[in-house]
Amino acid sequence: MSDAPAPDDVRSALADALGTDPGELALTPIPGGASRQTFLVKGGDGRWVLRRDPPGASSFAPLETEFSLMRAAADAGVPVPRALAYEPDGGRFGSAGFLMEHVDGTSVAPRLLRREEFAAARQAIPVQLARALAAIHSVDPALLEGVTARPGHPALAACAFWEAALDEVGEPLPAVEAGLRWLRLNPPALAPEPCLVHGDFRLGNFIADADGLAAVIDWELCHLGDPAEDVGWLMIRSWRFGNDELPVAGMGEREAFLLAYEEAGGERPDPEQLRWWEAMGNVKWAVICARQAADHLSGRRRSAELASLGRRICEPEWDLLALLAGEGAR
Amino acid sequence: MQDRPTAPELLDALAELLFADVREWVPRERRFQVLVAANVCAVVARELRAGREPTLADIELFERLAAGYRRPDDEDDPDAIARDAAAELARAIRAGELDDELPAVMGHLRTHVRRKLEVARPGYAD
Repeated sequence: MSDAPAPDDVRSALADALGTDPGELALTPIPGGASRQTFLVKGGDGRWVLRRDPPGASSFAPLETEFSLMRAAADAGVPVPRALAYEPDGGRFGSAGFLMEHVDGTSVAPRLLRREEFAAARQAIPVQLARALAAIHSVDPALLEGVTARPGHPALAACAFWEAALDEVGEPLPAVEAGLRWLRLNPPALAPEPCLVHGDFRLGNFIADADGLAAVIDWELCHLGDPAEDVGWLMIRSWRFGNDELPVAGMGEREAFLLAYEEAGGERPDPEQLRWWEAMGNVKWAVICARQAADHLSGRRRSAELASLGRRICEPEWDLLALLAGEGAR
Repeated sequence: MQDRPTAPELLDALAELLFADVREWVPRERRFQVLVAANVCAVVARELRAGREPTLADIELFERLAAGYRRPDDEDDPDAIARDAAAELARAIRAGELDDELPAVMGHLRTHVRRKLEVARPGYAD
C-alpha cells in the first residue's frame, strides 16, 4: 500500500467541513478497494473515511462527481455515508479524494455470507437492496452535474464503452468479443428514460450491520442509463461469492427482489432485458479483471491480488457464453 | 534436468504452507491475501502439469475460426502464436466478419474458456 495523505492536511480539510477542529488524526489504509485507495481516519471522538485516487492510476469517473452524487443520493433516501469534503488532485489529500462519515458494519462478502452474526441481516438485505436501488433510480438526473449519459441507446453505448475499455487494456479475449458482438447485434428494447445508474451495485459495495443494509458505497462507475443495468450486474454469478443458487448478493431469490423493486417504484425489467444486462455484466467484470491485471503488469500498481485477477477472466467469460447460449441464469 | 521436487511439486508445497500455516499467523483481516497467494500457487501448478496441450488446442481452434489467419513466419513459441491468433480472431469478431456463424463461434469458444477454467478454477464450468 502506498503512502497515506498527511494527517495534518486531512485534519485541516475536516476542520473546514465540520466547522470545528477534530483534533489529531491517524490514518490507516483499509485493504480491499482495488481501484481506489480508502483510509480509515481516526480522531479523538470521531471516525471518518477518506477515499482517493491511487496516485498515478487511472479511474473511470472523477471523484468529484462521486462526491456530489452521494449527496444527491442521500437526498433521494438512498442509505449512503454522508459526504463531507472534496479536494482536487494536488490538494490536501494528495490525489483527488473526499472525506465521508464512517458507517459501522462490514462490506466484506465472505463475512456477510457466512458469519452467524449476520444471519438476520441476510434475510433482510435482498429487499433492502431492492428499495435502495429503486431510490437510486428515482434520483432526478437534472440534479446530477457531471454525471453523464453515454451517447445513444444505453445498451449500444455500454457495448461501445466496454469495447473501448477492452482496447485500452489490449488483451486479446475472443470469448468476450464474441459475447459483446452478440449483445451489440441483439440489444434490448429502448429504456423509457435514462436514469441514474450506480454502475457497481453488488455485494462488496454495500456496508451492512446486524440489522442489514447500512450504506451503499463505491459510486465510481455511476452514469445515466438503463436501470436494468444495475439489476443485471447485481445478479452476475461472481457477486454470489460461491452461493451460486442465490442470484441476489448470494442471499436472495431473483423473483422476490424484482417484486420488492417494483413495489418500491422501480420498473421491472423483462426477462430478455435482464438477461442482456446480466450478460453485459459478465463482459464488464471480465474487462475489469483484465484491466486490473494490466495495472499490475504495467507497474502502475504492483499487487499479487490484481495480478491474480487476470486468471479470473475466464469465469465471467464462461457465464457470459452460458447465458447467451440460453442456458438460463443460474 | 532438475532434481525433485518438480516445479509443480514445489508449488504444491508452497500452497500447503500458505494455506495451512501462514494463514494462521496472519491477522484475520489480511488472510484473504494469503489465500490469494495459495491459490496462485495452485493455478501455476495446474498449468505446469497441463503442459502445452491446452495452448496447442487453442491455436488450432483460433486458426480454424479466423479464416485466413497466417501465423508469423519467425515465431515458434506456442504462447506467442496463441496470443497472436487470439488477437486476429478478436479483431475479426469485432469487425462483424463472423456474424453469420456467431452462435457456432460462441459455442466453440466455450471449449477454449473451459480449457482456461480447468487451470484457473476447476469445477466452475460443471
